[in-house]
Amino acid sequence: MRSLTLHLKVLITLLVTVGILVTAYQIFILGIPVTEDETDDLWNIDAKVEFQASGREPVKVQMFVPPLNQDYVSLNESFISNNYGVSIKRADGNRKVTWSARRASGNQTLYYRLVLTKRYSGEQPKATGPIYRDSIAVEGAEKIAAEALLAPIRQHSADVETFISETIKRVNNSADDNVKLLLGGDASTPNKAKVIELLLSIAHVPMERVHTIRLAADIQQTPELWLRSFNGENWLYFNPDSGEQGLPQDRLVWWTGDDQLVGIEGGKKALVSFTLNNSEMNAIRLAKLTDENTDVDFLEYSLYGLPLQTQQTYQIMIMIPIGVLVILILRNLGGLQTLGTFTPVLIALAFRETQLGFGIMLFTVITALGLSLRSYLEHLKLQMLPRLSVVLTFVVVLIAVISLFSHKLGLERGLSVALFPMVILTMTIERLSITWEERGASHAFKVAVGTLFAATLAHLLMTVPELTYFIFTFPAVLLIMVGFMLAMGRYRGYRLTELFRFKAFLKD
Amino acid sequence: MFGLIKRWKALEAKGIMGINRRNADYVLKYNQRHLYPIVDDKIITKERAIQAGIHVPELYGIISTEKEIEKFDEIIAGRSDFVIKPAQGAGGDGILVIADKFEGRYKTVSGKIVSQEDIEHQLSSILTGLYSLGGHRDRALIEYRVTPDPIFKSISYEGVPDIRIIVLMGYPVMAMLRLPTRQSNGKANLHQGAIGVGVDLATGLTLRGTWLNNKITKHPDTTNAVDGVQLPNWDGFMKLAAGCYELCGLGYIGVDMVLDEEKGPLILELNARPGLNIQIANDCGLTHRAHAVEARIAELAKNDVKESAEDRVRFSQQLFGHVKPAEI
Repeated sequence: MRSLTLHLKVLITLLVTVGILVTAYQIFILGIPVTEDETDDLWNIDAKVEFQASGREPVKVQMFVPPLNQDYVSLNESFISNNYGVSIKRADGNRKVTWSARRASGNQTLYYRLVLTKRYSGEQPKATGPIYRDSIAVEGAEKIAAEALLAPIRQHSADVETFISETIKRVNNSADDNVKLLLGGDASTPNKAKVIELLLSIAHVPMERVHTIRLAADIQQTPELWLRSFNGENWLYFNPDSGEQGLPQDRLVWWTGDDQLVGIEGGKKALVSFTLNNSEMNAIRLAKLTDENTDVDFLEYSLYGLPLQTQQTYQIMIMIPIGVLVILILRNLGGLQTLGTFTPVLIALAFRETQLGFGIMLFTVITALGLSLRSYLEHLKLQMLPRLSVVLTFVVVLIAVISLFSHKLGLERGLSVALFPMVILTMTIERLSITWEERGASHAFKVAVGTLFAATLAHLLMTVPELTYFIFTFPAVLLIMVGFMLAMGRYRGYRLTELFRFKAFLKD
Repeated sequence: MFGLIKRWKALEAKGIMGINRRNADYVLKYNQRHLYPIVDDKIITKERAIQAGIHVPELYGIISTEKEIEKFDEIIAGRSDFVIKPAQGAGGDGILVIADKFEGRYKTVSGKIVSQEDIEHQLSSILTGLYSLGGHRDRALIEYRVTPDPIFKSISYEGVPDIRIIVLMGYPVMAMLRLPTRQSNGKANLHQGAIGVGVDLATGLTLRGTWLNNKITKHPDTTNAVDGVQLPNWDGFMKLAAGCYELCGLGYIGVDMVLDEEKGPLILELNARPGLNIQIANDCGLTHRAHAVEARIAELAKNDVKESAEDRVRFSQQLFGHVKPAEI
């Protein structure tokens, strides 16, 4: 729009930019879902620990549980265990739960349940790890075999990363005699890991075992072993069987290190089995849940931080600018005549309580009756204020009668005429009757129809649930709207109706 | 859709001003809000005009409270014709024109007999703000009844025709004669069905007219041609209108005037948001003319010159005048 002054241009640009940036930040950085229907994966992980208690001595079961400093956010964690005391301690980046009981016998079952989701995880702490280690001492044939293996590895690698993957590849080459010797006939993954560790230690490359659980529903699984090494900045993950680098998205690190998953005192035959299932959850509810469980309180300062009751009120209130925008467009661009500027918005709000069809009917009937009473009172030559008072009282009685009748007829809709629509109706009649006095009946009728039309359109837009959700969740959108409204403030083009009004000019 | 865009372009080329443009570029830009009371209240307008030596219909009295309604007889003492008006009324609503007294009752211009009681009710309605903008309390004024110049007899139906001139920063830009019709009940308001007839600024000759947004050449009630009528004392009207800028300080106004049989041109009221139908009446857009005036003002400001009302009228007449009545 060429007629905008610089000041206004700057202001509009500023508002729109801030609006877009804040909204984009909410959507892309905070990951707040754009629609209410958006759902997110929610993982339910059960670890069942079974063992036989000896019965003679106190029982102490120790098990690793996920450290929860990863990309996942735990929503709920519970330890289901009768008569056992539970304590959790952190050590070396791991978390360990200890169940203890003074006396227990027979088959025992303990449960650990974790509910987690991937979205909304907060910022990760900076990773640290060792970058040097001493060599593991080896002697004799093993030493020669290891060195024979390391020579080509050194040759084929450029840095730590390629060195490790090359090592893993070599170790997995079962045809190699040196490898055969080092593995000693045991080609299981843990054993391979041991050989890999040995080889890496000779080159002074530290390596750590990572035990992961696969986030996949309904499959039998045991913790999967991965290796990782710190390159000074990040942890690099390797699959010990294939040399493949990088931990897949669906792996959840359960614990790290060489220890067994579960340790038991005063019992035997400890067995851990995992059951996973996933469910979907409404994304915004999930966001609220995660917000409570993490220190990323991004929803704290949004409208979701308000008490529920207040939230509902705001969900209505925040849509008022949309209604106002509709009126603005209809009036300034369309040239529609309405009763007052924002009466249509109020009527649109009243429709919320009466429903659209019934609302329009009610509005029409009551306004028509109110106006006909008013024109009858005209003959009595009353002053304006007393006459309006009579009209308003009549409207109240009328609404009461309608409510009563529709209730008797079993139409509960009629009872929806609450205080709010009534006030708006009486106000509308007052304004309409003034218009009638000043501008005549035909103008009043035109204005009334225009108002009803604008109110209907505004109501329809204001009650689109997706829109309500969007604006409530991303209130910065309102700034963009204000920018548009400001620009409209200098709109100088024709209104649609003027194109018809001035048609006579072009009839030559 | 495509036709509408073409129509838009055509209207813009003709310089037709729309409401949005009027509001944004003229009303908001040139009319300071704190000056509005001067034009919105006819009593203040009148006082100002009298001070400035501009002719207005004589004020007989003001009624501002219910109690003062009793003073009504005193105000009209001996007079048989007068007009009752709300001070802040708009669009000619609430105006009662009494032409004669008849056996203790009054007779309006249209021949309707009204009683003293009716008049008092009307006064009281005005006071409660029935006719005022936004329903504020108002005052009623009782003033001289204008007797229209006989020149209008053939092209007007009852009522008093008035002349509106749009004045931008003291420069008359466009003029229109408003003729009451049967449909407008003798009122000179276009939205109530009165006819608007364009007037050539230089000569005071009437052009064709507009009625209900259509172009016309004949008065629907009298069937006489409305164009080609020479308005008497045209320069007087122009000077009166141009002087209203100094009177109220508003830069974009519509000045409504009447031609009284005896007293000549009189100011009736000023309007801070004059309507746009004057363009149809003149078959000419306001935008080009307004731009010409704005260019003139900018030029004068550069040379630090101030023009008198006469100069401004001359400028307008030279630039916008001598429009030939279109042939049909």
